[in-house]
Amino acid sequence: MTTASAVRAGLRVGPIRPRFRRRELGLLVVVGLALVAGSVSLGATRAVLADGTLVLAPVDPFRLIVYLAALGCAHLAQVLAGRRTDQVLLPAVGLLGGIGLLLMERLPQGLAGSAFGNSLGLAGVQLLWLLIAITVITVLAIVVRSDTWLRRYKYTWAAVGIGLLLLTFVFGEEANGALLTVRIGPVSGQPTELLKVILVIFLAGYLSEFRPLLVEESTRLGPLRLPPLPYILPMLVMWAIAFGIVVIQRDLGAALLFFAVFLALAYVATARAGYVIVGLVLLVIGAIAAYQLFGHVRIRVDVWRDPFADPSGAGYQVVQALIAFARGGLLGTGLGAGLPAVGGRLPIPAIHTDFPLAALGEELGLIGVTAILGIYLVIIERGLRIAASAADDFRALLATGLALVVGVQAFIIAAGNLKLIPLTGITLPFISYGGSSLLANAVVVGLLLALSDRGVEPPPPPRRSHGRFDRLLRRSVA
Amino acid sequence: MTGRRGGGPPVATPIGRGVVRLGIVLLVSFAVLAAGAGYWQVVRSADLVGRPDDPLLIAAARNVVRGVIRDRDGHVLATSKKDANGEPYRVYPSRSVAPVVGYASRLYGTAGLERAYDAELTGIRPPDPIDELLAKFSANRYRPQDLTLSLSLDLQREAVRLLGANRGSVVMLDPRSGEVLAMASTPTYDASAIANPDTAKAAFASVSNDPDKPFLDRAVQGRYVPGSVFKIVTSIAALGSGAITPATRYARQPPAEKNGLLVSGYRVRDGHHPFTGSRQLAYAEAVEVSCNIYFALTGLETGGDALTSWAAKVGFGAPIPFDLPTVASQVTNGGGSYGGGFSDDVELANAAYGQGETLATPLQMALVAAAVANRGTLMKPHLVTRLSGADGATTIGPEVWRQVVSPDVAAEINAAMVRAVEGQEGRLFTAGAKVPGVPTAGKSGTAQLTGSAAPHSWFIGFAPANDPQIAIAVLVESGGSGTTRASPIAGRLMARYLASVGK
Repeated sequence: MTTASAVRAGLRVGPIRPRFRRRELGLLVVVGLALVAGSVSLGATRAVLADGTLVLAPVDPFRLIVYLAALGCAHLAQVLAGRRTDQVLLPAVGLLGGIGLLLMERLPQGLAGSAFGNSLGLAGVQLLWLLIAITVITVLAIVVRSDTWLRRYKYTWAAVGIGLLLLTFVFGEEANGALLTVRIGPVSGQPTELLKVILVIFLAGYLSEFRPLLVEESTRLGPLRLPPLPYILPMLVMWAIAFGIVVIQRDLGAALLFFAVFLALAYVATARAGYVIVGLVLLVIGAIAAYQLFGHVRIRVDVWRDPFADPSGAGYQVVQALIAFARGGLLGTGLGAGLPAVGGRLPIPAIHTDFPLAALGEELGLIGVTAILGIYLVIIERGLRIAASAADDFRALLATGLALVVGVQAFIIAAGNLKLIPLTGITLPFISYGGSSLLANAVVVGLLLALSDRGVEPPPPPRRSHGRFDRLLRRSVA
Repeated sequence: MTGRRGGGPPVATPIGRGVVRLGIVLLVSFAVLAAGAGYWQVVRSADLVGRPDDPLLIAAARNVVRGVIRDRDGHVLATSKKDANGEPYRVYPSRSVAPVVGYASRLYGTAGLERAYDAELTGIRPPDPIDELLAKFSANRYRPQDLTLSLSLDLQREAVRLLGANRGSVVMLDPRSGEVLAMASTPTYDASAIANPDTAKAAFASVSNDPDKPFLDRAVQGRYVPGSVFKIVTSIAALGSGAITPATRYARQPPAEKNGLLVSGYRVRDGHHPFTGSRQLAYAEAVEVSCNIYFALTGLETGGDALTSWAAKVGFGAPIPFDLPTVASQVTNGGGSYGGGFSDDVELANAAYGQGETLATPLQMALVAAAVANRGTLMKPHLVTRLSGADGATTIGPEVWRQVVSPDVAAEINAAMVRAVEGQEGRLFTAGAKVPGVPTAGKSGTAQLTGSAAPHSWFIGFAPANDPQIAIAVLVESGGSGTTRASPIAGRLMARYLASVGK
């Protein structure tokens, strides 16, 4: 393999020079201490509730040690790789993943569902996926050097995305009224999770290429000035296909997520408020139409407006989640002391996938919820920082999109749990139980880390001359 | 800077500015989330925790071993057993108390005293943050309390047995203390079958579909036309307000016995005591023969306002404060312009002898008897006399509810009621009510219903008349005349009670 081809393939060349990452190490130590404290607290509460004795020991030392060791290995691998990548993302994601692991440790292990899951337990499965996720993050962060394979084949990515959706259509299994899970042989997963990453890559590629044209004001829609129609059309079609299929799949959370990410990226790329306004108008029309057309949408919205109208039927989960938040109060009941089980069953059936924030709200209180929201903000801030200092439009838009995917998804499900918007069944990134979600978000973080490296090769020459634009960009970033 | 058309390639705004704006939007969005969390976790915390669907309460209700309920002699009325999973369920040894004690079922919630005293029986108090924090670290968080009732299981069983296949109710209480000694409602049901998780579904369905409505506690929830037993309420109003004296006679009364008393074109009819002939009856005689004409005239003499307000003193017009939820008895539907809520003098005249729009619960009528028996002082009726648990015990003693009439007026009514049971003519209407060897006071009633339904059979009374220890109200739905059905039941129950206390 020649050097040039190795570079093209995105592999590292030349000698490896280790680079210490003091900040990451320090933050990881803090994360480790917090997780050990949480585990000891959970273990002590368990012991007190079981026989009234106070035992200060982690609830499951083995799983905790494995998880912390994996974070340590990820750190070490990055030190050895010697890349100048972001040092805050890994600890932040590690803390969220660790909180998720503690939560799975605390919930009844039988919630895992499948036979395989039951033999390993909820926490066992989650740990396995966390290990895979950390591996994915590390490998992407170290190995991805060139973004050519992302930017050049955007239509291929779009095709892959639509293919994934069609896969769901053909092999999909219905769960909670939504067609989400694909099962082929022993492997099952939720393609929409991966689709969001692919959508961001496509949008970043498309928007960065046609950005100068998109800001042109040749289409007028009333008082709004929009770009030339031929340039927005393909993007709208791509978006409409994804959106349409998602609506048919009844995955409202993903639909909302895609829409919000699309709008935000379009705004960042063009700085046109018109996009946002037209988008919001479309959203309102779509929402009203969906409310009129689909029974399941109507139920969601009605429950959101007044869950207490039917607290034991349609509004059951939402009311129970609100009671959980309420019992948590300011300080929480403590890990393991909340979520009273009735007849061996938890009050909220989908607590490990859709309502982890309610569970954490009850056991960690308002302080815990605020801290968790803060960690998501940290991840968003890192992503946007990477975007702002990116070398070119594609990288900037890609980093923005990736940060948005995590941030907006966390917002949608957290707001649904808190009855700020109608509840949708998407996962809380890095905390919720489930492999597809962890894997997709690991890809997001891995790509963000790779993008954050300032020492990568220069981007390929642009297709069009952007002389003045490049100068402007540099000024804005500086 | 924005893009321009013509003259070179268009220029875009720096991407960094959009990214910063986006960051601000996301920051604000997450601040809104935190505010939302604060709203539910702090502002609304108190009113959400402790809701009936709070899983903590439901879990506690399932796992806590409820307190035992006993009668006045220590007989167990409700206790708990554990199922295969170690979760407790309720057992009720006697069917006769079902409408009073109710049930506590995992599937169907609670009823009766099990519902009214749910908090005490489970020991779950409304949440108190500090209490919760301390309770978290104690092994048994809840302190269930046992209930002791004033009820006598022996009397209760006998009352249910005497009511037999009829729908009906018996309320017995000690007029001196207000303690309820029996509170029967038939038909009863098997509360154990509803509490047992294995049989709950079938049992609940069969009881709720029963056309005789066994779940209805007729003693406190059933409202019936009282008929002549209401004449005691009219007596309280008329004598209490001074509208009549015991010597009051009406010249219009004897002729009206034959053709009816004309009130605004409507005829109040009587005619069931031809043997009094053309004699003008005085008050006690009118009670003895249960003269409708006399009481219609007395009602008109008293006036609607006074009748309603004096009836309210014995409990009419509002739910009676009691251990179980009660429905309000009524003298009239209310809203009429005539006075006291009556629509006209015809309704008032009919109400005065217990017809019209008058409706009463058996508990209400027992209180009427108790008020007269206890020299005009009405004691607050109650069932639970003692709560005991790990934290100690509370005794609920007698409490004066109201002074209804003066002892003198009470004595006049008492004497008239004795004549109604023991007098030459009275005993024809109250056969079997007399407790052998004990002076007995009472009043029977035959409540005429619209249509062809057989009348309700009523009796209210007390004994011994000179030293009342037991007051009673008996109602037999469509049981025919008071004489044939209700009076003998009352006599036997009062005799049984007095024998048990050594009188």
